[in-house]
Amino acid sequence: MTRAGARRLACLAFPHLALVLAWRAHPELRGEPVLLGGRGPGGGQVVMAASPPALALGVRAGQDWRRAELLCPLAARLPVDLGTLAELRRSARLALAGCSPLVEWTDDTTAYVDLSGSDPLGRQEGARAAQCGRALQEVLGVTLSVGVGQSRFVSWVAARVADPGRVRVVPQGRAAESLASWPVTELPIMGETAERLLRFGLRTCGDCAAITMADLQRQFGPEGILLHRLCRGLDLAEIDPGREPPPCGVRRSLAGGVEDSESLRFGAAELARGLAEELARQGRAAGRIRLTLRGEGGGRLGERAWWSEVAPSQPMATAEELMGPLLSLFGRLHPPIPITVVELEALDLVAPPASQIGMWQGRVADREVIQRAVNRLHDRFGKGLVWRVEVRPGHPGDVPEERLSWSSS
Amino acid sequence: MALEPALATLNRRYGREVVRAGAPARLLGLSTGVGELDGITGCQGLPQGRISRLVGEPSSGAFDLGLVLAAEVSRSAPVALVDFTLGVFPGDIEAYGGDLDNCWLVRPRRPVEGWSAARTLAKAGVGMCILVAEDWSRITSGAAPAALLAALSEGVSAGLVLGGQLLPAALRERVCLELECRRLDWDLTHGDVCGLRMEARVTRSHLSAPGARCRLRLSFPRPYPIRAGLVGLAEEEVDEDEGLLRMAGSSR
Repeated sequence: MTRAGARRLACLAFPHLALVLAWRAHPELRGEPVLLGGRGPGGGQVVMAASPPALALGVRAGQDWRRAELLCPLAARLPVDLGTLAELRRSARLALAGCSPLVEWTDDTTAYVDLSGSDPLGRQEGARAAQCGRALQEVLGVTLSVGVGQSRFVSWVAARVADPGRVRVVPQGRAAESLASWPVTELPIMGETAERLLRFGLRTCGDCAAITMADLQRQFGPEGILLHRLCRGLDLAEIDPGREPPPCGVRRSLAGGVEDSESLRFGAAELARGLAEELARQGRAAGRIRLTLRGEGGGRLGERAWWSEVAPSQPMATAEELMGPLLSLFGRLHPPIPITVVELEALDLVAPPASQIGMWQGRVADREVIQRAVNRLHDRFGKGLVWRVEVRPGHPGDVPEERLSWSSS
Repeated sequence: MALEPALATLNRRYGREVVRAGAPARLLGLSTGVGELDGITGCQGLPQGRISRLVGEPSSGAFDLGLVLAAEVSRSAPVALVDFTLGVFPGDIEAYGGDLDNCWLVRPRRPVEGWSAARTLAKAGVGMCILVAEDWSRITSGAAPAALLAALSEGVSAGLVLGGQLLPAALRERVCLELECRRLDWDLTHGDVCGLRMEARVTRSHLSAPGARCRLRLSFPRPYPIRAGLVGLAEEEVDEDEGLLRMAGSSR
């Protein structure tokens, strides 16, 4: 399965996860100004997140704590439990990973999901985006908004203007129209450029879109090109699923790229073991696993990805249980370009099935165990029953039988 | 009410796994390395701890499919090949990309030696135990298949029976999965037969309803550089009307 056709992205906008945790612990603070603090890069305390009433008073994430207190003196001030925050983030990413293989967790307020390509269930993109939103909403327990568009910026704007709990879809080719009234001060460009645009009387994206790219470039240099693309919904920024490792999975980078599928399969056992360890650490079993092979490009523009999923009848928790379905997935994927990244993700996590299989299940024996069994057979039936065959080194191999040497070890 | 404290005591004394709720045993599949083939078996491969069988007319590709599976498994796990016919050439496994260093070839002088070796190696935990014979009724004693099945279960090895058209009842009843192979067409390269296109159909299964099928292309080992092995053919790549198979250019 590869990404094909027009690019469609969904942007999910939600309150900062630290704020979600604060609201869970203190429901009475919903609708009140709240400052959530943490240690900044310089060691001083900074604002990690703030509630909408505090943001309305000029508080910003990353702001010095004392300045935020001055701006919003009546705000409740709470510390952030980074361990709980990381756990919530992992659960949220896991929920989105179940919806699409290409998910970027940008920060703790925004996530992007690639909706390009056909949906196995044949749903429309609006329904798929809504399903992503519902999956995340169930984890967070807060209402969020979703925007769908042809580019990262278009979907981001659509999510910002969508009503809470709603999906706003900008149809393909109508991005410029939907952005026409978006103020230039809200564009991801330098503040100085925005000020110059205002001085020229260009207040919205619609005003800028009416100007040719050459004119914008003449006035603003390279940022003029970016401005032109943003205002017409033509920005090319891809989502980057490789920004963080899979929420429950393993990722292996292959130096230089591997083209031979046999070589890829060679690492299957190691992947299965890695995922089994991760599942054991979380005390879960996977109802579905997804194998993603990424071609050269590392997740940026031009990257190609192939993925396939399998959902056996029983959840998988051990490396042995994962191995069969994983090899089956390798058998399905035949990427035509060298693969640089292999990812194995566990989805539909459930509690490990209660079963006594682990008490009697054997394992593939090592060579010594088999050699001891062979020795017992030779003791009983004599030499010449079990044979080992080796290829003679350096033999030209004209007669196939002469290439092999037999030994009854 | 007294159950919880009792379970807690047992778990504390003997470990957390000593008492667990019961559930149907999960049957694991030993992947064949071909997604299409894994998909029809009902357990994503050959069932481990059970006996499978490949059957087909001469030149149907069933025997070569067995060798390909042996080669595939030998790359990651030990394989025991019990050759009652004394005619299997292990170089074919190597030609299909197998690792001979992981293969243990049993050439029994009497049937009892073959069955005993199969049981012992299965119990020891080889990944796959293949039995090859031409006339199963002549070499199968009443209790041998049942004992083999028990050994396969104990070692969680996948058993595979190859060769012969008719199985004695004692063995046939213990076959968990039977795949019937049918040759669809020869694969020709410059007039030389370099492989065949075949259909594998589930004719007997304890895991799912029989009838599932898939199409495969098997490339024979050749002295010139053609990669021997097996690939699955997607259904949409098959043109039934013309009676021909249009295969995509992918190869393993």
